[in-house]
Amino acid sequence: MIPARQWLPLVLLVAVIGGAAVVHLQRHIDAASADYRIEAQELYLTSGEWVKRLTLGYDGLAACIYWTRAVQHFGRQHIAGGEYKLLYPLLDITTTLDPELILAYRFGAVFLAEDQPTGAGQPDLAIKLLEKGLRLNPDYWRFWYDIGFVYYRAYKDYDKAAAAFRTGADYPGAGAFMRIMATKIAAEGGSRATARALWQELYNSTDDPTIRASAETHLLGMRFDDEIEYLQGLVDQFIKQTGKPPSSWREVAAAGLVPGRPLDPMGRPYRLKHDGTVLVDPQSRIFTSKLAWRD
Amino acid sequence: MRRVAVIALNTFREAVRDRVLYNLIVFALLLIGTAILFGEISIGIQSLILINLGLTAITFFGLAIAIFIGIGLVYKEMDKRTLYALLSKPVRRYEFILGKFGGLALTLLVNTAFMTAGFFLALYYVKRSFDAGDPPLLAAIYFIFLQLLLATALALLFSCFSSPALSAAYTLGLFIVGSFAADLKDLADALQAPWLEGMMRAIYYAVPNFSNFNVITTVAHGHPVPAALFWWNTAYAVAYIALVLLAGILIFQNRNLK
Repeated sequence: MIPARQWLPLVLLVAVIGGAAVVHLQRHIDAASADYRIEAQELYLTSGEWVKRLTLGYDGLAACIYWTRAVQHFGRQHIAGGEYKLLYPLLDITTTLDPELILAYRFGAVFLAEDQPTGAGQPDLAIKLLEKGLRLNPDYWRFWYDIGFVYYRAYKDYDKAAAAFRTGADYPGAGAFMRIMATKIAAEGGSRATARALWQELYNSTDDPTIRASAETHLLGMRFDDEIEYLQGLVDQFIKQTGKPPSSWREVAAAGLVPGRPLDPMGRPYRLKHDGTVLVDPQSRIFTSKLAWRD
Repeated sequence: MRRVAVIALNTFREAVRDRVLYNLIVFALLLIGTAILFGEISIGIQSLILINLGLTAITFFGLAIAIFIGIGLVYKEMDKRTLYALLSKPVRRYEFILGKFGGLALTLLVNTAFMTAGFFLALYYVKRSFDAGDPPLLAAIYFIFLQLLLATALALLFSCFSSPALSAAYTLGLFIVGSFAADLKDLADALQAPWLEGMMRAIYYAVPNFSNFNVITTVAHGHPVPAALFWWNTAYAVAYIALVLLAGILIFQNRNLK
């Protein structure tokens, strides 16, 4: 038997050199094939029922995997500005595999309904998914909230949105805000106050950090808009008084309209264009998000 | 009964010596990895995926042990000729089969118990608490254990007359067909020809219905398991296992070991 001290250094050397060579080669292959690596925009199995059968009854696990695929597909297309071709089929398979996976309907509908490039811009499919959710989970009144939300935001069909909230409000155990929203939308349509109430309710009703962050961003965006409107009013008043737009916030402050340079909710100063238009500093986080309710 | 217990204990010791319980390390790593990974790449399903994957892993790790040890229980003893030494002592053939089954059942019980502990630890790590939806998970694990006992009995049956490779193929095949059992019934209902319908229904009742025991998706959503299902599944497993073991004993009893 050869002692270990004789062969071990050689084996270690070969392992290190060989390992480094494999990593090096793989990197070259990755770089060379990067252009060919596009996300397969096809699903080999399009029928949820078939996928369900093939999972041998372990459909809950398969649903989690398909849901993760849907999230990943959404994320990838969101970054690439793609078409979200697989989003609805993936969500459909997910919800067929696990009809009780409520978040797949709710978040899936948000992904589908949002306008491009934030979402897939497919509100019809969002409604279809939520209606499937209602068929399979007939007691879950929050789907009516989501349907109303899609009609409100994507279609701006306030009659249908109010009707959806009203239907949901009739369910046993439905939140009182459903009836309030139905009345509010019917009376005020697409006002910012209504939008704020909707986003606030979405924020309150979920524990998921992603959805909470999204709702928070929208609520923050509305706060920005409130402040911009208020400041714009003050600048317009300045223009009326002096006959010219202010060159800086110092001038507006000197006129006694603001106490100093106004800061936005992110702590950055609001900008003032030469023509007196009030703008948000591009560094503020809110610029990275599209506020669909402004459309 | 004492002789059965001795054989069972030796079978268990042998399995432990074969480092069967090493799979627990893989299981623990899988659960921890999954909990972290899916928390990063998915939305809102961290505990759901942990439950689904944890329970599925308990099933498949257990199934692998049940099949791959079960198929060698008789064959290995014959191949190594240790069976002859054993049967030359005052041990009946049926005692040998029952002991082997008991030993593997004990191995699976210990393995499942450790995996259950690991699973609940991982669940606690993710949820930071236990809630009312967790007790049904124990019922699901109990059903998984019944499935494993059934698979063990089948593997042992095939081990009595076939080679390990074929025994594994037969047991795995029956597990797959048994998991599709509900579809066989649906197919029978859809068929027009009465003889075909009858045949399909006969197959449905003949194959071990593994789909009876799979309640993972339901309990993952916190739904309790009905008490009736609990008792019926237990009775079904006991009856089916008894029949399979009886068949195994009959075959082994009449087998020429010379």
